[in-house]
Amino acid sequence: MSENSKNYKNPDGSNLTDSSSKIETKIEGNDNKKDVSTSIFKKRWKKFKTLKRGYYSFIIILILYALSFILPLLVNKDALIVQYEGDYYFPVFSYYAAEKFGQDIPGEANYRLLNEKFKNDDSDNWVLMPLYPYGPNQNLLDELEGSPPHPPSIGHICGTDDRARDVFARLLYGFNISLSFAILVTIVSYTIGTMVGSALGYYGGKVDIFGQRLIEIWATLPFLYTIIIVSSIVQPNFILLVFVLNLFWWIGITYYIRGEFYREKAREYVSAAVSMGAKNRTIILKHILPNSLTPIISFAPFAVVGGIASLVALDYLGFGLPPPTPSWGQLMNQGLSNINYWWLVTFPLIAMFLSLLSIVFIGEAVREAFDPKIYSRLR
Amino acid sequence: MNPENILEIKNLSVKFPVTGGLFLRKVAEIEAVDDISFDIRRGETLGLVGESGCGKSTVGKAILNILKFASPDVAIGGSLFFNSDYGEIDLLKLNRNEMRKYRKNIQMIFQDPYSSLNARLSVGQIIEEPLLYHTKMNKSERREKVAWLLDKVGLQAEQSKRYPHEFSGGQRQRIGIARALSTNPKLIIADEPVSALDVSIQAQVINLLQDLQSEFDLSVLFIAHDLSVVEHISSRIAVMYLGKIFELGIGKEIYHHPNHPYSKALLSAVPLPNPKYRDKERIILEGDVPTPLNKPSGCVFRNRCPIAKPECANFIPVLEKKTGEQYAACPYTKYDKVSA
Ligand SMILES: Nc1ncnc2c1ncn2[C@@H]1O[C@H](COP(=O)(O)OP(=O)(O)OP(=O)(O)O)[C@@H](O)[C@H]1O
Ligand SMILES: [Mg+2]
Repeated sequence: MSENSKNYKNPDGSNLTDSSSKIETKIEGNDNKKDVSTSIFKKRWKKFKTLKRGYYSFIIILILYALSFILPLLVNKDALIVQYEGDYYFPVFSYYAAEKFGQDIPGEANYRLLNEKFKNDDSDNWVLMPLYPYGPNQNLLDELEGSPPHPPSIGHICGTDDRARDVFARLLYGFNISLSFAILVTIVSYTIGTMVGSALGYYGGKVDIFGQRLIEIWATLPFLYTIIIVSSIVQPNFILLVFVLNLFWWIGITYYIRGEFYREKAREYVSAAVSMGAKNRTIILKHILPNSLTPIISFAPFAVVGGIASLVALDYLGFGLPPPTPSWGQLMNQGLSNINYWWLVTFPLIAMFLSLLSIVFIGEAVREAFDPKIYSRLR
Repeated sequence: MNPENILEIKNLSVKFPVTGGLFLRKVAEIEAVDDISFDIRRGETLGLVGESGCGKSTVGKAILNILKFASPDVAIGGSLFFNSDYGEIDLLKLNRNEMRKYRKNIQMIFQDPYSSLNARLSVGQIIEEPLLYHTKMNKSERREKVAWLLDKVGLQAEQSKRYPHEFSGGQRQRIGIARALSTNPKLIIADEPVSALDVSIQAQVINLLQDLQSEFDLSVLFIAHDLSVVEHISSRIAVMYLGKIFELGIGKEIYHHPNHPYSKALLSAVPLPNPKYRDKERIILEGDVPTPLNKPSGCVFRNRCPIAKPECANFIPVLEKKTGEQYAACPYTKYDKVSA
């Protein structure tokens, strides 16, 4: 090839050699990258990737969770686009009364009926419905025969609940709510717990003794009573529940971080930092904290599991999110009080089981990735 | 304070509390450093030698004033007069904030090259850390200085992006050296900088320290547990045992004519390359080093001393002048001429 380009002085020849040299440098660059520095985090991430079960669970949960934010575009009673008499409407984003499209029902337009009507009309009007055209809170009594709960059927793959709402849609929306709730609770409790724990562990002495006694007193507050009292005064909502749960959850994190700080503080690299003239803030943030996160990071997926379970329990007991919210606990509660309607309890249980299982897989892999042992039992 | 000295250590003592019982009360004290005094002169290398656990590292850390950080209940007595740019100052009287401005003048090469480097930081970040606190260098100036330091200690500038776990113990030790040198200190506490290394690299690091010393006019407190290592590079040597200094003097003289019975024992344990000296009798010390918790009364060495007398239990010997520049803490020893 190179001989050819020499012989014929092909104008492309220069290009060719050019590009081949580019490829060469690229390869060298790659080599360098491989050669240069793997921080401990990168190393762990690499190891995490080799733990297939956890890694795939992580990818799947990540994708599902990301998708759950665009659920209104995928699973919804509202049409994505309506073309009516030459105009376009986007009902997903705004409310249109039924009269607008010539429908003879009170309140908001029913786009599924509209869709059928336009199809039968043979007009130029059309409706583009989401993939699964039922919302989590829409009552389907008018459209379905018989009395709710309706068993699973082609249109409603998980059936409907006792108010004729589509169970599948409720489950999907519930996934987003459960996971968002659990992640938010985890983040908030981690933040508070880390701040308090590092202060106790770093300053030690009187700060530590006094702080710990305060925490012990705080921890004796009974969680369930607190939540019952709070929900008897105000209707709990998402943020309030995150807050109430975090009145207690940060405590556990504090113990972890405090212990780590105690241990790391006595290590020589910290003394070295002091001897170089580092200030407390630098020592805490740059030196000790990054070395103290291992236990709480490997615990994080399990904290998320705990968060999901707590919300389910609170919803189940009736102290959770306010009624029309599609929460798993509320579905399960329905299922148990209507035990003959198997789909009401089976599908939420399956959904919860699969979610929790994959998160536990993630947690297991994270813990393994953070384990300094070379041989893994998960591979 | 003598202007020839960079540091004068006066009656330094360090006591770690031992806590126990249900309420973690103080039940005893470890007297890791027990009333020691010596000077470090400008530009000299002072070797500090002694068996494991005799308090060498504690002396070093006391000089850096970092003991209180890791063990807040430690009791430190005496004074450390330091000849700084800002005049003479007692380092032990300073709190952490006040101490900060002197830190660039005193740096330490830590004994353990594994635990003394933060595993989360790249080598570049580790070495440039003192520069962040004590200079106004910008990023590229710091990078340049790091590269220069890495070159000085025999590593490559490209390695600054790597992390400590990618280096061997000897390489880590050099990273520690580069870090200690970054602020152009006047005094370096080198805590067994070579004991973690192979013999071939030991020589390299020692040569490196010597080169740097003549280049930067450093004073070095060179800590080692082996006389043969310090003899090579130290102008003077201090021999330490159970928190006490037993002998202090010119390196060559201590090496060839030790006064104190402990120095003699320590020296006779050194493998000698020269067969001429080999037929010299070996002094094998009996018994173990007593724990610092339970020291013998009087002279702490008396239970192992070949020339111990009953009176040794009654008084604590102090350093006294023997020959020339040589001091020893034993009234019964005499100048010992090794037949040479
Ligand atoms: N933070 C501490 N708390 C309690 N005791 C300590 C502490 N640091 C050191 N000691 C004690 O002080 C004594 C001297 O320790 P030091 O580390 O100074 O010895 P060393 O001479 O450096 O020994 P090596 O050659 O093994 O490094 C030892 O008995 C040790 O147990
Ligand atoms: Mg030591």
